[in-house]
Amino acid sequence: MTRYIIRRLLYLIPLFLGILIIVFAATRVAGDPVRLMTAMNPHITEEARNNLTAYYGLDKPLWHQFLIYLANLLKGDLGNSYVIRGGIEVTSLIGDYIWPTMLLQIVSIILALLIAIPVGVISARRKYSKTDVTVTTTSLLGTCIPIFYMGIIVILIFAYYLGWFPAGGYVTVISESKDYFLGSRTLDIIWHMVLPVAVLTFALLAPIVLLIRSSMLEVLKQDYVLAARANGLNDRKVVYKHALRNALIPVVTYVGIYFGAMLAGAPITETVFNWPGVGRLFVQATNRLDFPVIMGITVIITLMTLIANLITDLTYGYIDPRIRVE
Amino acid sequence: MQKILRELIQEKNKTKGASQWNIAWRRFKKNKTALAGFFIIGIIIFMAAFDSLIAPYGPNTIPGFYSGETRAPPSSKYLFGTDYVGHDVFSQVVYGASSALFVGFAAALIVMLLATVVGVVAGFYGGIVDNILMRITEIFLVIPFLLILLVFLKVITALAPSGGGGLFMVTLMIGIFSWAANARIIRGEVLRVKEQEYIEAATALGATKTRIMIRHILPNVLHVIIVLTTLMIATAILVEAGISFLGFGDPNAITWGQQLQKASEAVKEAWWEGVFPGLFITLLVLGFTLLGNGLRDSLDPRLRE
Repeated sequence: MTRYIIRRLLYLIPLFLGILIIVFAATRVAGDPVRLMTAMNPHITEEARNNLTAYYGLDKPLWHQFLIYLANLLKGDLGNSYVIRGGIEVTSLIGDYIWPTMLLQIVSIILALLIAIPVGVISARRKYSKTDVTVTTTSLLGTCIPIFYMGIIVILIFAYYLGWFPAGGYVTVISESKDYFLGSRTLDIIWHMVLPVAVLTFALLAPIVLLIRSSMLEVLKQDYVLAARANGLNDRKVVYKHALRNALIPVVTYVGIYFGAMLAGAPITETVFNWPGVGRLFVQATNRLDFPVIMGITVIITLMTLIANLITDLTYGYIDPRIRVE
Repeated sequence: MQKILRELIQEKNKTKGASQWNIAWRRFKKNKTALAGFFIIGIIIFMAAFDSLIAPYGPNTIPGFYSGETRAPPSSKYLFGTDYVGHDVFSQVVYGASSALFVGFAAALIVMLLATVVGVVAGFYGGIVDNILMRITEIFLVIPFLLILLVFLKVITALAPSGGGGLFMVTLMIGIFSWAANARIIRGEVLRVKEQEYIEAATALGATKTRIMIRHILPNVLHVIIVLTTLMIATAILVEAGISFLGFGDPNAITWGQQLQKASEAVKEAWWEGVFPGLFITLLVLGFTLLGNGLRDSLDPRLRE
């Protein structure tokens, strides 16, 4: 197993480098960032521009800039923001914003899996029953509704008409007239999390349920399931002990992919719910062409996706030992 | 003798009537959900084709502005109400149909061209070609795709502030960054087809590699490509809506995503501004998803009982 883990880790390095090159190209495809940022400013002189370019090291050849970025990255330095808080370090900026993002994403994926596995299995066991039709129809709809539309509808109903939950934000800004929900900061954060987590969980849940259902149906047709039944095992045991383990193999791969997609989709979910995470920060940074922040967030999200993929691979190797031997 | 011949000809005509595509069509006609998808797409294509006849107001007119009816609720005069400047929401929704369809079809075309070339070449040649192409595919699979799209679109608009390529640029970018997953599926399918005996027969007859790829492999993975294309249209429409919602779309085009973005600033005061455009995005995506699933059921021979 250790050799398998090391092999998977080594495998991720060229992948990460490739992505880094594309992101770097994206920030430089328009040429000099300083010129781009100052294009709308009529007061800037050519000399001031050149000074800025030299200050940020943008006068060096592209490959040189890339190597410098890479070397700094290995030291844990992502550079400084061009605009935010007088050039704050990108690492400390991301440090402030990453936790809300992680909180939202991890709670949602755990909830989605906890709900999706039993629902998918029940749906498969009672194929074409009323329950199954309801589950598959709802899931199908769930994969078709844009997540921001779902967010807007949920805010409209639960925040504005019913007034049960706040429409957005991470925590109440306390003033003399306003206190935390039930007086506790933790409870207040949870109260703010309800709507975004509900939407994100539903969006993740829908495709996973469909996948588990079809994978389970496939497995239930196999000979060993028939053999287990013929040996007199009860149906519950056959389904949950023998079939489920095999049905989960294709699901594991997709969970990694969905998790990555949801992370990359963070700009949308966080913008709808005004959530102070890296996704919303990314939208703001992109609008202001703040390239170090853009690069930094992309690097962090890529790393998180790669780690999620690694966990997927390892789980895969754990569930199905055949994978470990190549 | 003649009788036997006649019977043979009849037999032949019978089998001719039941080609692979005919069987697929018969199965498709029986599939109610697929027909529902077909129907939804048909309505929206009709809407896009005759938009200026269906919409009661022109695309750039603001009827509510002059009469002081901005953010007016739905009424007989404004079916879906009016928005913040006084556009008729119903007319805007009708004009948005062609943008959504354009993005969907064009992006899917770009994606499937790239995915088919990569998938077929990698699967057919194998070895080092396969290795290199699959490593590139993996990069595009893992890359945080929405983030990169936003950066590229922003930089391009910053370079040319007057539009920056418009809806076509958005479509092109979606196309360039979404082919990887499809390429992988097509490659897998090619690997399966490659092992069949008729490919061996073609090779033995001296057919060139290009001929085998185009004449023998491609037609046999076509059903997969058709299904993936349909589902890709749905995905592309969703992605464009997301980009527009974040304000990175083409500001000169009328799109449902942009309508939702404007509406989200005031959902509390004017729910109709966002609810209707969002409903149409969902409907169109649902239409293509249903059609795609239906096509998969009727085209994939392995699913046949």
